[in-house]
Amino acid sequence: MALSIRPIHAEFAGEVSGVDITRPTTREEVMAIEAGMDRYAVLVFRDQQLTDEQQITFTLNFGELEHTRGNAITRPAEMRLDPAFADVSNLDKNDQPLARDSRRRLYALGNRLWHSDSSFRAVPATYSLLSGRIVVDKGGDTEFADMRAAYDALDDATKAEVEELICEHSLMFSRGQLGFTEFSPDEREAMRPVRQSLVRMHPVTGRKSLFLAAHIGAIVGWPVPEARAFIRDLMEHATQPQFVYAHKWRQHDLVMWDNRQVMHRVRRFDDTNVRDVRRTTVGGTETTVAQAA
Amino acid sequence: MTLSIQQITPVFAGEVSGVDITQPLSRYDAAAIEEGMDRYAVLVFRDQHLTDDAQRAFTRNFGTLEASPGGHIATAAERRLPLDMQDASNLDKDQKPLARDDRRRMFNLGNRLWHSDSSYRAVPAKYSLLSGRVVVERGGRTEFADMRTAYDALDDATKSEIEDLVCEHSLMFSRGTLGFTEVSEAERAMFRPVRQRLVRTHPVTGRKSLFLSAHAGGIVDWPVPETRAFLRDLVEHATQPEFVYSHKWRQWDLVMWDNRQTMHRVTRFDETLVRDMRRTTVAGDAMTVAQAA
Repeated sequence: MALSIRPIHAEFAGEVSGVDITRPTTREEVMAIEAGMDRYAVLVFRDQQLTDEQQITFTLNFGELEHTRGNAITRPAEMRLDPAFADVSNLDKNDQPLARDSRRRLYALGNRLWHSDSSFRAVPATYSLLSGRIVVDKGGDTEFADMRAAYDALDDATKAEVEELICEHSLMFSRGQLGFTEFSPDEREAMRPVRQSLVRMHPVTGRKSLFLAAHIGAIVGWPVPEARAFIRDLMEHATQPQFVYAHKWRQHDLVMWDNRQVMHRVRRFDDTNVRDVRRTTVGGTETTVAQAA
Repeated sequence: MTLSIQQITPVFAGEVSGVDITQPLSRYDAAAIEEGMDRYAVLVFRDQHLTDDAQRAFTRNFGTLEASPGGHIATAAERRLPLDMQDASNLDKDQKPLARDDRRRMFNLGNRLWHSDSSYRAVPAKYSLLSGRVVVERGGRTEFADMRTAYDALDDATKSEIEDLVCEHSLMFSRGTLGFTEVSEAERAMFRPVRQRLVRTHPVTGRKSLFLSAHAGGIVDWPVPETRAFLRDLVEHATQPEFVYSHKWRQWDLVMWDNRQTMHRVTRFDETLVRDMRRTTVAGDAMTVAQAA
């Protein structure tokens, strides 16, 4: 049974078959997956009944784990999962859905906005791997937008305009868009804005892409409202249906994406239902631009 | 020469010919235009060399001019036009484009967001009439979205979910979206939120439409972030290309729209160029819902 990848969208995204990622993978398989990520930017693996340990092992094939502690609003004592995981579920420590007005739930609603994971870190993430342990029937799709195709489709004047722009990213900006604005001094410090190039180049393929995310709140040297209006226009351009793959979850799907080439978001679902999805993240290795002193 | 209307998109908007609106209107023509508004929601009149007074006179065929403060941060001394004419230009009192970081320009950038005029007033506007005195070649389009068709296209579950929802609208919410958050106490009082039904019914045609607007920042009894995420989803749904007419301006166009049936926005343009657009507004005559005590 050889690993193969079938395109599932005209621009990007592929479904992988012929590999069991719950078991140790061969070097050839890892290389084929990595080459697939460079090309498709999003890969879907079906029927992978992963344990947390197996998900970590599979993730480590592609680099170092990014640890999430200290960067969300959840205190260590409230955490349901090992810090190797980003808990993207709607559950508390006792596996119960969070109350409607729970601060953690309201904070997590930021995932409904298009974003790139960890763009709010000076060194942003490379891959994210999301395992659907318990999925919902209606809604809760994860949508992906191809930032390479979006970049390519810009007119020349816009390409020239954005080429050297630098954005400021912070979790406070994405949450602020939803009117979630109350942060403790510690949270504010942990969420201090970082700088990212608006146009980035993939280290392997050399393709350019738009580095957009709801975490963007400013463009260096621009008045804030002008920056926000412009970023919204770019977002609207970049998330047109022809650039988007909507993933409808089946239980035990693992979906893996390259944050350097795509944005993603979750769609609305009835969150009185349990949705247990667990993310591991491969840390990046470099900044996209020098940070402010 | 008789008045006729040619539909522009498959769902709405019409171009009117056979009438000179710079001259007093016959009762018959005024009635034909009002019927056209009920049906098409947006009407375009070409080559109408309007003076301010002629624009006012034409507007009065359809009701009372809206002429109350509360729509802008510009002071009386700063205003280029009297209160019964809303200044949708990018100009100061000396007919010069506002400086890039001018507070009034920052405020005006809110017009880049989809909105319905005066939805932040307890009695929101009926029609808006925008006259293109000096237009720009590139960008600066006005785009319209048909909120009746958008409503019709919702699934039944969503229709019943939103049927009785009441939103809070304020200029502070639309401006806050762009990070324009510094307002004086007097401005804050002027921009106090008002309530509007999310689903409204047209008084003549009986058609339902979505009463969405960038000014909407709350849903009564909902947590704020959940509200904002939901309203964003609805706006995204309601502004799909098939529901949108994008108006490319020619000098001396007059475009007239029904705020009870549409949203609109302006698209980006080079604001170092002069764009002189003047709006008159027909006041509404009823609230959509009782205001909070």
